[in-house]
Amino acid sequence: MASQKKDKPEHKRDRLQQPLVMPGIHRYQFFSDISDRPLTKNLNRAAMLAIGTALAVDALKPLIGGVPQTLYCYECRACYGTQDRCPVGIGLQAELTVSARVADYERFLRAGGLKCVRCGNCRSFCVVNLDLPRIYSTMQQRTIAAMQRGAIRRQAIQHAYDDGLVGRQFIDRVAQWLEQESG
Amino acid sequence: MTWLGALTLLLFVGVMVLTLLRKINMPVQTVLVITTLVILALGAAHRAVFDGLPAVLAMPNEAMGWIILHPITALLAGLFMAGALQISGGFEAFKVLIMALQRVPIIGLAGTLVILIQVPMIASLPCGRIIAAALLPLLFAFSAEGGMNVLTRTQMIVLIGAFSRNAFGSCGPSPIGGVGQIGEGFLGAHFDAAAAGMLRAPQAFALMLGTAVTALFLKFITQRLYPDDVTLRDRIADTEMAGRKVEPPKATLVGYASLVIFVFALLASVFELFGKLPVQTVLAGAAVLIVIISRAGIRDLMAGIILLPVAAMIAGFLAAGALAATGGFDALGVVLSALSKFPLLGVAGMLAIFVQIQTILPLSCSRILTAALVPVLYQFGPAGFNFITWDQLAIAMAAYIINATTSCGPSPLGGGGMMGEGQMRAESGYIKGAYVFTSMAVMAPLAALYMRFANLGLFRSQSEMFYPSASDMLQLALYAAVVVVATIVGTLFIGRKASISIASGQRWQRVGFLALGAFAGAVLSFSLYGLAGLEIMQGAVGGALAALVISLMVPSRLTPAPREAKS
Ligand code: SF4
Ligand code: SF4
Repeated sequence: MASQKKDKPEHKRDRLQQPLVMPGIHRYQFFSDISDRPLTKNLNRAAMLAIGTALAVDALKPLIGGVPQTLYCYECRACYGTQDRCPVGIGLQAELTVSARVADYERFLRAGGLKCVRCGNCRSFCVVNLDLPRIYSTMQQRTIAAMQRGAIRRQAIQHAYDDGLVGRQFIDRVAQWLEQESG
Repeated sequence: MTWLGALTLLLFVGVMVLTLLRKINMPVQTVLVITTLVILALGAAHRAVFDGLPAVLAMPNEAMGWIILHPITALLAGLFMAGALQISGGFEAFKVLIMALQRVPIIGLAGTLVILIQVPMIASLPCGRIIAAALLPLLFAFSAEGGMNVLTRTQMIVLIGAFSRNAFGSCGPSPIGGVGQIGEGFLGAHFDAAAAGMLRAPQAFALMLGTAVTALFLKFITQRLYPDDVTLRDRIADTEMAGRKVEPPKATLVGYASLVIFVFALLASVFELFGKLPVQTVLAGAAVLIVIISRAGIRDLMAGIILLPVAAMIAGFLAAGALAATGGFDALGVVLSALSKFPLLGVAGMLAIFVQIQTILPLSCSRILTAALVPVLYQFGPAGFNFITWDQLAIAMAAYIINATTSCGPSPLGGGGMMGEGQMRAESGYIKGAYVFTSMAVMAPLAALYMRFANLGLFRSQSEMFYPSASDMLQLALYAAVVVVATIVGTLFIGRKASISIASGQRWQRVGFLALGAFAGAVLSFSLYGLAGLEIMQGAVGGALAALVISLMVPSRLTPAPREAKS
């Protein structure tokens, strides 16, 4: 008993089976201590799997969606500096970039993505010089396609339409679709 | 505010607090993933009833939109670089250079360390993890275990802690994708030149002085409150060393070459020598070059890549995404607006709390909440509720942003500070008190003062060509000195109490947090409203409330209490 006690490390940080946090350094914090929770091992594994899957999906989506450049976005929002140099008054360019990365159509609509005329004025504000007009153009096409196959809520499209968030290029198609839906 | 938003916000905050207080004893990433799933399930049920199937199907995308890839890749790039430097002997070359530098009379060891601590802010990369991952192992070299045996245990704690503090705030003023640029983008609606760096100088100023106070806090308080929670060895005395044969560090040509490549890559990133390239790309390219010249194997390199903080970080992003998808952040905005209606708080008190929110709720990357909360702060200005003027908005933004950007330091959810704690062989939470204290009491008020007295006029109009007058600068110096001296006196006082006993140190630490939180709130209100008695009082009340919550989140012990003691 006494020897068992003696063998038991005093601090978790002395346990070398803890995960590595940096080369040669073991992590011994109370949240991630792996030796503490044998009962939840599988739960923890499932959580790690979920995290890995989310990351993989997040990284693959832009590649499949034709907007690989969005992977480089820092989400620093320096592009908000475009302000009134955006001819159609879009204020939140990063929202468009991020929504294009994950194919979040409603977020894209809300930020005025269908208004963008792809002038490229915001591009010079981007700290990594992403080809923003091209990204937004691709996302515009995908949003219209998603709308037509019913993958976006009708209210979201109606709101964008009513709030003047649909540009001239798409207004007819959107209006026609809304009419069809209500008919 | 929908009931769903309020519910999910409550759920998230509740679960996080319980985890921090160790009432939920599971790895943080597991807790976060479960919380995310529960929030998403609640949101899906709500949407299924009110919005239909497409809205439900859109939820995973909405949640994933909150995974910010940049800090994840930044950390991986930094670790990749660290691994490359390790293998190629770059760290050894660095040791040789440091040994030489400390022999230069006007620099010495102290000068060398001060320069090293401020390196992250000088480099100003868009994520502090890059430089921390690469340089932390180098700093460790100064310890007895690290081989150079030039610093004591206390000095090592101060060095690593202060360096990490500096690193995990340096993403704020970074001109190449820094977090401050979120605020500058919004301020650009009124200040034409804001995008040129309106928040940069206030952040750098506050971070520089905040780093110094952090060092003091670590030395005089943290060390005394958690005496057994760092396993670093003390410096081996010269007398003991006399008999031993110590090999001086030796570096190879490849080591020097890899160090040159690393420094060049850093400079190329900061000064955009190859145009606007993501910093990760430049660093990864440089690391590959180092690997090639040192002929290292890929397995050696992969050993340096760690997944735990990355996993916690991603889980944090997912939880925030689920919160956003269910209106949790909107609920937070409504709660804050409601706070300003209380006479004791008013707008001034609410702002004093608002600027501290990210210190109250430190997540793995400051960008998560900053992206959600800067628009809320903007709404308080003339473009929304008109609670404050443009000038006041700029001042509040400066205080908020520095507080926000430094919040990944004390975050236990995969925050950058964990790397510092790991490097100094400390229990998790060791540096939290020092980090939250300086963010709250020193950095937020200093950034506000700097904006008010030195920067505001400069950016008010591009055509005015305004430069701060000598009297403005004098006032700034005076008020900044008052803030710094007050926190130093407070730190030394608590340190004295902590030297009597841990319990008394903890009691006085709480009192110190309250007093200096109130003081910081009052200084913020003074920066916003000038000498207005009511607002200064309201700011003090708001600051004290924020400080109370922050102090309650600082752990009183880092290792679980022994079972015998509990029963
Ligand atoms: S490309 Fe689109 S978002 Fe950018 S400035 Fe032009 S219209 Fe605005
Ligand atoms: S400036 Fe570029 S990198 Fe930064 S958020 Fe905007 S699109 Fe992304």
